[in-house]
Amino acid sequence: MSAILCPRCRSTAVSEVAYSPVPDVWSMSSCSMCWYAWRSTEGPSARDPEQYPKEFRLSAGDLTSAPTTV
Amino acid sequence: MPPVDDLRGFLAVLKENGQLLEFDETVQPEPDLGSAGRAVSTVGGEAAPALLFNSIAGFHDARVALNVHGSWRNHALMLGLPAESTVKVQFDTLRTRWQKFPVPVDRRGEAPWQEITVRGDDINLFEQLPVFRLNPGDAGPYIDKSAVITRDSADSDNFGKENVGLYRLQVKGPRKLGIQAAAPHDFQRHVSSASKLKEGLPVAIAIGNDPIIMLAASTPLDYDQSEYEMAGAWRDGVPYPVATAPLTGLTVPWGSEIVLEGEVHYEDREFEGPFGEFTGHYSGGRMLPTITIQRIHTRKNPILEALYLGIPWTEIDYLIALNTSVPIFEQLHDAFPEVKAVNAMYTHGLVTIVSTSIRHGGFGRVVGLRALTIPHGIGYSKIVIVVDETVDPFNLEQVMWALSTKFNPEFDAITIPRMYEVPLDPSSLPTGITTRMVMDATTPRPPDERGSADPEVTSFPDAERWESIIKDALA
Repeated sequence: MSAILCPRCRSTAVSEVAYSPVPDVWSMSSCSMCWYAWRSTEGPSARDPEQYPKEFRLSAGDLTSAPTTV
Repeated sequence: MPPVDDLRGFLAVLKENGQLLEFDETVQPEPDLGSAGRAVSTVGGEAAPALLFNSIAGFHDARVALNVHGSWRNHALMLGLPAESTVKVQFDTLRTRWQKFPVPVDRRGEAPWQEITVRGDDINLFEQLPVFRLNPGDAGPYIDKSAVITRDSADSDNFGKENVGLYRLQVKGPRKLGIQAAAPHDFQRHVSSASKLKEGLPVAIAIGNDPIIMLAASTPLDYDQSEYEMAGAWRDGVPYPVATAPLTGLTVPWGSEIVLEGEVHYEDREFEGPFGEFTGHYSGGRMLPTITIQRIHTRKNPILEALYLGIPWTEIDYLIALNTSVPIFEQLHDAFPEVKAVNAMYTHGLVTIVSTSIRHGGFGRVVGLRALTIPHGIGYSKIVIVVDETVDPFNLEQVMWALSTKFNPEFDAITIPRMYEVPLDPSSLPTGITTRMVMDATTPRPPDERGSADPEVTSFPDAERWESIIKDALA
């Protein structure tokens, strides 16, 4: 499955970045906006934007207001 | 028994002692591995075994080890002690061996992790390592148990300043990692040095190691104290075996399963996290440095070692319990020889308990305040409880008795506002700032006369004789 939206920040900057060494077992997708990554074999709460838990979602503001600690 | 030089050797020790569970059936990276890491602490408690997974879905030959340090039994076996050794015995062992520091390293030639090397754009961390999401709210897969090695670019020949640290690493792309460190950490000083010289900071990341180097890597040593030379001390004086990483020239463990080499980008800061942390809470997202990986070296059929973190106690709590307590003890004891023991096992020392003999009235709080300003105390030691030397700080029933009866909040609580602390404490406000508290639960001494009319209960000297009688009767 190739998601159009990042489940966590809902950006469209999403791409598949890896495939299982044993073919066709899983793929790994990554968001280059918030750097969330998920595997195609994870449950829908990890990969479906509609089911991703509300408490872990990020807004554009969350990404720009994150503190710099080092 | 001589110390083991690699993870495989220690897994064999654990197996001989009934402390290893192996799984040959194929498991899913998610949710099986993180779930098992949580479950083994819940089920096994202080006797929990390590876990070794020999087949991971989608990989040809990947293996994952979890909970290697995750019980007092495993911790004792790491030190070469009987598995049933008490916490206090393990504390005293580490304290005694500390005196052997520094032990020069055993520098060796070829290392087992040089069997396979992948370079440049052929690297894909997601495909070449069985990295996985540990907890549901984590940003993605992390490498959360590794020795991260860097040098001080301004003093690159200083072996003592070559740092071996345990820092979380988010796998953000095929060759890209994010790294988290806090301001007091040695890694941050190395980033600052590289930044001033406008040079990239070479880094090596060693994964799947003998247990002692991971103990040393997560110990709050002084900036110029070598973790490798401390590992030799904690190996009871047996020099720690190291090798040289071919690209960066950094010193890395000889026995690692996997060694990554790359460069930290000192100017870049990029969104990282959240990740379930040692505090038992998810960290917020932070702007943190990134790393580009340039080489992966591995053994054949390598073992990726990972660390479970969750609501305490889990593996992280065993790993950073006594190696936090011993350096705080040593640094406090240098200033005040009256200090007898330190228990800083709670969330890396955010709560620290110190037992001490007393020179004069008010001395307990002097010792407690000192604990705030030793190197590790600057970022931790949020609450310091000071008890008499007759109270064992590892015995929480005794500590609670001292707090219940010797501590008067009006007189014995000292609070200091607006102190720095590790930003991961979710109670800090703003992030990384907290009030500190010293709770002096020592018996008041003159000229403080409180309680002098109500001395502690004594027992007949014959109680010791009766201890023997009762023990014999129970035997």
